[in-house]
Amino acid sequence: MDFRFTEEQEFFRSQVRDVVDRLILPRSEEIDEQEEFPQDLWDEFAQLGFLGLRHPEAYGGLDVDTTTSMIFFEELARGSNGFSMAVTVQMLMGTYFIARFGSEEVKQRCLVPAITGEKIAAICFTEDQSGSDLGGTRTTATRDGDGWIINGTKQWVTNGPVASFATVLATTDPSKGMRGLDFFLVELDREGAAQGQLLKKLGSRGSITGELVFDNVRVPADCFLGDEVGNGVKHTTDILNEVRVMTGLNACAIAKQAMDDAKEYANKRVAFGRPISKYQLIAAKFGKFYAQYEAARTLLYRVAWMIEEGMPCQREAMSAKYFATEMCLEAVDEVTRIYGGGAFAREYPAQRYFRDARFLLYGGGTHEVLLNYLGKLYLKE
Amino acid sequence: MEIVVCVKQVADPEAIVEVTPDGGLQVEDRWVTGFFDEVAVEQALQLRDRLGGRVTAVTVGTGKATDALRRAIAMGANRAIQVDDPLATELDGVGVARALAAVVQAEGADLVLCGKASMDAEAGVVGPALAALLGWPHASEVVALELAEDATSLTSARVVEGGRRSERCALPALIAAGKGLAEPRVPPVTGVMKAMRAPIDRRSLADLGVEVGPPTWTTRSHAPPTERGGVTMVEGDFPANVHALVGALRDEGVL
Repeated sequence: MDFRFTEEQEFFRSQVRDVVDRLILPRSEEIDEQEEFPQDLWDEFAQLGFLGLRHPEAYGGLDVDTTTSMIFFEELARGSNGFSMAVTVQMLMGTYFIARFGSEEVKQRCLVPAITGEKIAAICFTEDQSGSDLGGTRTTATRDGDGWIINGTKQWVTNGPVASFATVLATTDPSKGMRGLDFFLVELDREGAAQGQLLKKLGSRGSITGELVFDNVRVPADCFLGDEVGNGVKHTTDILNEVRVMTGLNACAIAKQAMDDAKEYANKRVAFGRPISKYQLIAAKFGKFYAQYEAARTLLYRVAWMIEEGMPCQREAMSAKYFATEMCLEAVDEVTRIYGGGAFAREYPAQRYFRDARFLLYGGGTHEVLLNYLGKLYLKE
Repeated sequence: MEIVVCVKQVADPEAIVEVTPDGGLQVEDRWVTGFFDEVAVEQALQLRDRLGGRVTAVTVGTGKATDALRRAIAMGANRAIQVDDPLATELDGVGVARALAAVVQAEGADLVLCGKASMDAEAGVVGPALAALLGWPHASEVVALELAEDATSLTSARVVEGGRRSERCALPALIAAGKGLAEPRVPPVTGVMKAMRAPIDRRSLADLGVEVGPPTWTTRSHAPPTERGGVTMVEGDFPANVHALVGALRDEGVL
């Protein structure tokens, strides 16, 4: 086994890090404070070409390997978790089904401008009564000639309020539950599509989240994004592994950034005559974090490698995402204790890391759903 | 026009640097391309784009040194040459200049650009030494540069006390870039991907006929004090305040 990144991957990481240091980190506080989509940053970032990292070269992408794309996601999240969420939806979930199942015309219309950043993508799973429980989806897609009519309201749509198009999960046959779900492309300038209420969030505030409402929206046949009707959930699994590794690496990035800041603080803050980093209870927090962080990253990059090798890894991806996110939640909590009362003030970023980390609990399945599934699998063995 | 740009991978300015008990330096493993070198690369690319030709990035060093070349290619340089030799770490500024001079002569450059100084040693020796070895005119800390339309001469400007000094010289010449000469671009990802796969032309000191013989050596390094003493404000009018200051310095054992 070889756990090393290649020299080229290390160089790639250093270049992404430089972009994040120059463009994103200096604005991370402002992005969080304003809670608006940072359009100017988006435009500047899109020009650098990263949005096409995972897509085919024929459409302006770069088609890089899974590990390289994960290096990108990890570094990006270090800058601003909110902005990172907006970008990852664009690069992964928001365009995945279009790239995989879209007609040539659909790809030219949506994928190409998504890669250049001119059009913003969203994906809609969640509704008022369904989220991790996709079987509860009530948005419907009904055949209308050779097209489809979409009806329903989607919530928690990252990029929704600024999106040009969305990939929408809808039921084509409510009697079939999970086997009656499919994905559809809905361009949001179609009649009957509307951007609804904006959601005020605790963290990850650089990505704008809100409702999308579909009231008798007619879409043509080529907006059906799948191979056969009823296979939507099956195809979701393929991208979910990547989403889970990406989410786990976001967690690692937030935790590392929070701990690095806390290290600087602990070395400077003097209590009872010496820096607080010299006290064993404080040093132990860094020690525990480091052990868990190393374990989480090793797990996550292993799953990235499994994805690249085409190996089944749903269980490993779930486990790694769960472990990394829990590690992050503990780390950002411990960081607030290192800062003491300072963490309760907006003066230090500790509170932002604490808030941002909570958002990672839900993407790719809540931990309750993941653990239940993992537990059932283990019990069946 | 053949332009050679000299670049160097240096410790990140935010890396933690500690002086070890034996007087050596322990540097955190974080590296970047020198800022002034990036300015030089940017200027070279702009000249190439206007006048045509080729930009070749050159570095002297092993291991991470390659990343400075990849950075230059990501920004848009056409090719890269690394003087990759274990003995390169023993070279001082003049030694590095000798290695670079051998490369420049082999490449037949019309113009050499480099940073005014590296960001680690910050000696500012390599550029002028390289120009001297080549027998070329040079200008350092250059903040503005114009090439004649026929590309046979250039006019450079640098900041001097009380103003800017303009100088004109014939090509070939060497320009050491100062802050403001150009704003280094952020490389697009297509450039980064190209750089990741770019072949690096590696040459040893023996290939170049350069002998290692450092004319300078370090006798001792000192760490700055980790804690500073308190500040004493010397009150009073001249000359009593000067007498008080001298007295205080004597008391501290400084004088």
